[in-house]
Order: sequence, then structure tokens, then C-alpha cells
Amino acid sequence: MFNLSTRFQNAANQTLTTSIVISAVIIIITFIQLYQDDVWHISSSSISNIKPSASIKYSYNYGSSNRKPKENSKVIFDLDADLSSLFNWNTKQVFAYVTAEYPGKTDGSSNKITYWDKIIINKEDAKIHLINQKSKYSVWDIEGSFRERDAILKLEWNIQPYLGPLIFGETLSSTNFTFAKVQSPKSKSP
Amino acid sequence: MNVRQQLQQLLTLAYVFTSAFILWKTLSIITNSHSPIVVVLSGSMEPAFQRGDILFLWNRDDHAKVGDIVVYEIKGKSIPIVHRVLREHHSKDFAKQLLLTKGDNNPVDDLGLYAKKQMYLNQKTDLVGTVKAYLPKLGYVTILISENVYFKFGLLGLMCLSSLFSNE
Repeated sequence: MFNLSTRFQNAANQTLTTSIVISAVIIIITFIQLYQDDVWHISSSSISNIKPSASIKYSYNYGSSNRKPKENSKVIFDLDADLSSLFNWNTKQVFAYVTAEYPGKTDGSSNKITYWDKIIINKEDAKIHLINQKSKYSVWDIEGSFRERDAILKLEWNIQPYLGPLIFGETLSSTNFTFAKVQSPKSKSP
Repeated sequence: MNVRQQLQQLLTLAYVFTSAFILWKTLSIITNSHSPIVVVLSGSMEPAFQRGDILFLWNRDDHAKVGDIVVYEIKGKSIPIVHRVLREHHSKDFAKQLLLTKGDNNPVDDLGLYAKKQMYLNQKTDLVGTVKAYLPKLGYVTILISENVYFKFGLLGLMCLSSLFSNE
């Protein structure tokens, strides 16, 4: 029995099977290559010279609600990293981001924020060398203030492939810093 | 052509539709998401995701990490949004987790997209899923069907024609 619909069904089945097999092969080879390049242990990165600053904002766009004061934090930092090993034939883009992790108010609670991020499309741009880089975002906490807590700064990455699973990781280096105290003009007067 | 043959064809058609439906619902149960596969509709995550790309979601993680790309829905707005987690705040053992998201290609975070007075997403209630895998471009067919009238009726006409031919 050869009519149009069986013919079409056969072709569709064949295409589906072939593409699933090819996709699986692509994904497996990608992972083997990433393990060979040891991308989860990138040590050639460092964040240094961190200069945090703090200010008080009253706008909704800076996390304030009902005009209550909200402390916003920014940092200036130096960043050196070589992420070029993340680029192989199945890498569409790498998203690199600098995060800060710090404890919350109650026991066991924790927070993680992003200060800076970058979309990298070419392998040539994957060698990051920044000096006195300002943070991209003005960051606020769920509490009103960062209360000069200690935080850990890290460089993390995400590979967006042409096909297959998203892959995440972080570089081995991490740097500690303390959130800045708000410089308010009132506190200066005795 | 007799009645029996026509009923047989109707049954085959019903079989095709129900099996597709069952497959979709099974995927829904496995991933714990009401739409486990989504098609990207906007360019706010370019160049990572373009219009028409297919994303596979998973919604059984007990927490989201910063850098994860999540799909969320805002109450009162029916369009799901695919954006990256910019900040997360959680209590002990992730009993409660609040997220702030942003599209890679957007200049500012998603505060303006959330409901009025909403400052964060709730990981437990607002997420449709976390993006785990990616297929390029193939979902463009669904965009064509939903947005292009000629394509929609052309496809319908083609299906009708083929069913007419297969009757013989």
C-alpha cells in the first residue's frame, strides 16, 4: 500500500530518528570535549582590587517601595580571566557573570547577586582583562541595608550551545570583600 | 466506500490526536511543568535565544541558581517570559526563594514586567520551568501557524487534500 500519507509518515519517522541520533552524538562529543579541556577547573582567573560603595535610593527602580530608603551597592573591580577554553564548535555564546554571595538575616538563609555580566560571542573576546571596571548593576538586598556583611565574589559562566543542554560552571578563584558603609552627610556632624 | 472504512479512518485520526495529547501530558508530569516545551517569541535573550528556538524545561529543582534561565508567568498576564536569574534570596533549605530576573539583551531588569508592586518572583509559584536544553529554529513553524494566516490555511488545505487522496 503506497499512498501519499504512508509515504509522508515513513519520511517523517526516518527524519525524526536520524535527527535524534545525530543530536545525541553531538551532545556526547560536546561533553567529552569539555571534560578534556577541563573547563570546570579554570584557574586562570582573578578578581582583585575590589572597591565597594553604597548609596541610599528612594526609587522603585532601585528596589525601594513606598519611598522607604533602600541601600544600593556598587563595586569597582579588576578582572582577569581566560575563558577561551569554553569555546568549541558547539558554543554559540558564553555568558560570563560576576556574582557575590552573602548570608541572610536568619540561620541558613543566603543571597546571591550579580554585579556584572557579559555576553561573549567570539573566542577572541574570551580573554577578559578589566581594570577599574564599574559594576553593571546597582544592587539592593531584600533587607533595607547590606549591614556591612562579608561577601564572596566569583566569576561564573554559562555556555549556550548551538544544540543541546545549557552548561554552567564557575572559575576556581574567589575573592572576599565587605559591603561598604553608607557615607551619609548627617553622620559626620557630632 | 463503506461506512466501516470511514469509521476506521475516524478512529485512526482520533488515535493520532490522543497519542499526541498523552505524550504531551506525560512530559508535563515528568517535568512538573504545564508546558514542558516552549517556543521563544521575543528577542530579549538574543543572541542566546532567537525567535522560533525550542526550549526544554524542567520544573523539579527545589531552587534556582543565579545564571539559570527560567520561564515565568506573571499573574494576570498570559505570556510566559524566558529570562535569566540575576539575583536570588532564599531562606533555610530553600523553603522560600525570591528571584529577580533580566533578559540578556534588555538594558534593565524585569521590575517593569512584574505585576504592580511586585519586587520579586517566587520560585515555588511563578516559574513554569528552568531551561535545560535547546534546539534552534525548529519552533518557527508554530510561529508561522499562529501569526501567518496564509500559512495556516495553506497547511489546512494541504492536510485536507492529502486526506482526500489517501481515501482511494
